[in-house]
Amino acid sequence: MACNEIWVVARIRDGQITQAGLQLVGAARELAKEKGLDARAVLLGCDRAAADDLSGIVDKVLWLNDERLNEYDAAVYAGALLGLMEARGKPVAIFAGTNDMDSEVIPRLAAMCGAAFASSCVKIGWEGDDLAIRRPIYGGKVYEELAILSRPAMVTVRPGAFDGAQKLAAPGSVEEISVEVPASSGVTVVERASSAQGGQDISDARRVVAGGRGVSGELYRMVEALADTLDGAIAASRALVDAGERPHGQQVGKSGKTISPDLYIACGISGAIHHVLGMNTSKVVVAVNSDPDALIFAAADLGMVGDAKEILPALAEAIRARK
Amino acid sequence: MSLKIAVLVKQVPDHEAIVQIDADGTLDIEDRYVCSFFDEIAVEAALDIRKANADAEILALSVGGKRSVESLRRAMAMGIDQVEQLGDDSMDGADGLAVASLVAARLKTFNPDLVLAGKQAGDDDMGAVGPMVSGLMGMPLVNAATSIDVDADGGKVRMTHSMNAETWTVESGFPIVITAQKGLAEPHVPVVMRVMKAMRAKITNTSIEDLGVPASDSTGRLKRLGYYSPPTRPQVQMVSDVNELVAVLAQRGVI
Repeated sequence: MACNEIWVVARIRDGQITQAGLQLVGAARELAKEKGLDARAVLLGCDRAAADDLSGIVDKVLWLNDERLNEYDAAVYAGALLGLMEARGKPVAIFAGTNDMDSEVIPRLAAMCGAAFASSCVKIGWEGDDLAIRRPIYGGKVYEELAILSRPAMVTVRPGAFDGAQKLAAPGSVEEISVEVPASSGVTVVERASSAQGGQDISDARRVVAGGRGVSGELYRMVEALADTLDGAIAASRALVDAGERPHGQQVGKSGKTISPDLYIACGISGAIHHVLGMNTSKVVVAVNSDPDALIFAAADLGMVGDAKEILPALAEAIRARK
Repeated sequence: MSLKIAVLVKQVPDHEAIVQIDADGTLDIEDRYVCSFFDEIAVEAALDIRKANADAEILALSVGGKRSVESLRRAMAMGIDQVEQLGDDSMDGADGLAVASLVAARLKTFNPDLVLAGKQAGDDDMGAVGPMVSGLMGMPLVNAATSIDVDADGGKVRMTHSMNAETWTVESGFPIVITAQKGLAEPHVPVVMRVMKAMRAKITNTSIEDLGVPASDSTGRLKRLGYYSPPTRPQVQMVSDVNELVAVLAQRGVI
């Protein structure tokens, strides 16, 4: 059984649809329209406010209003989505984010329904009636384009690939659906610790200020201050993470996270290829470095040579003045 | 109870290997292959677990042709005694589900308590096989673990991993699929003696037929349309004044 829909697995954080989630809905609406399909947001868990929020940007919200889905469990989430497919038919495609949760749930679900899966898509379009996606491989040295022939076409999409969905003129509807929910997989959460001071996940932040060796120790405070001014997230190069100064969850690069914010400011980062591969899909990249020959300038749109100690506070001040 | 651990490894181009698109649109990959970065971490994590559980049995598996044998030799050189190649070169380039299906078929007879794999391979960076094996086996899954603490007698394992903006500590019983993130273990460079021994070792192969899996047909699921160069950024614009910088950022609409 199939249905003519594209589903977006919606993620809500702190009561808000994530930036990445807005972009996924934007992508689903655009691609659905081209083929006369319907875009749907799928919401797991009993969050009525989130369901209403989502209905502002998509015609219909498929709401799995079930308290067993309030806490994240990869196996339970994948099982519930499979249940939704059984209840409603297989959609043409399922879009999710490249966040840590969907990176577990979506490939697991793909295997359960015998479908292919593609991660980290930066571009989605149609090749005939199949979804065609573009994604980086070999650490971003080249990109591949794949047509996904199996159904549903299951993809995780990188932030920044699409514009966020605009509000609908008339809000959509919310359809409550009860599906079979499997028992817990037995993975229990013992502790949840905030790993990003300031709480922002670098994968989902629109503005990121990153520090490297040039702003280690006390100097990193200025990175935090600038991020604060921009209402952005803080990140770090491998050098600071390996030195134990910053948590791994903030590392940008091949062995850390790959991010695509609107604005990425690299402070005191040399610009080794491993780092650049983690941020080169950002919209605008600014590099601040004392070494005019630093590699990071080759990966930047805008560069400033000088002492981070002077530039960062001045930059923060200039941004505040503009506000 | 003696623990049984399966580790999944793959041979991929070294991260410094040159990868470029040829004039005919195919990929030209420099011939420098290594065991994938995150897979070596998984191997080391398995060895770490065995340090505390001396009777643990570890089986390293790799799917594919000649290259998969090389990654198994690396795992052997690092200290794993039991290794097995699954399938043949018809599996090179197969999609994640085809690979996971072979692995799952083998795991059904091995009956592992823990399945360890890298969080993604250094070639297609897909991150599919670990989660897919968990789906096919109906085992719980913890992706991108940065620590694993096994209590073999208590029949449970405690792990930490990044969950969006948080670090979660989670606990599970056996069996479970865990993928390795950087920081989980520090792969050691094997000693020459073991490398030599691994070079000479005969590597067991189990065929697709023996695994009882229908021949891989990932072409029915994914079709490659082409390769593209990464997007390039225009020449950097150097500025000498923060106000000038802020003006450009405002003009580009990012502040």
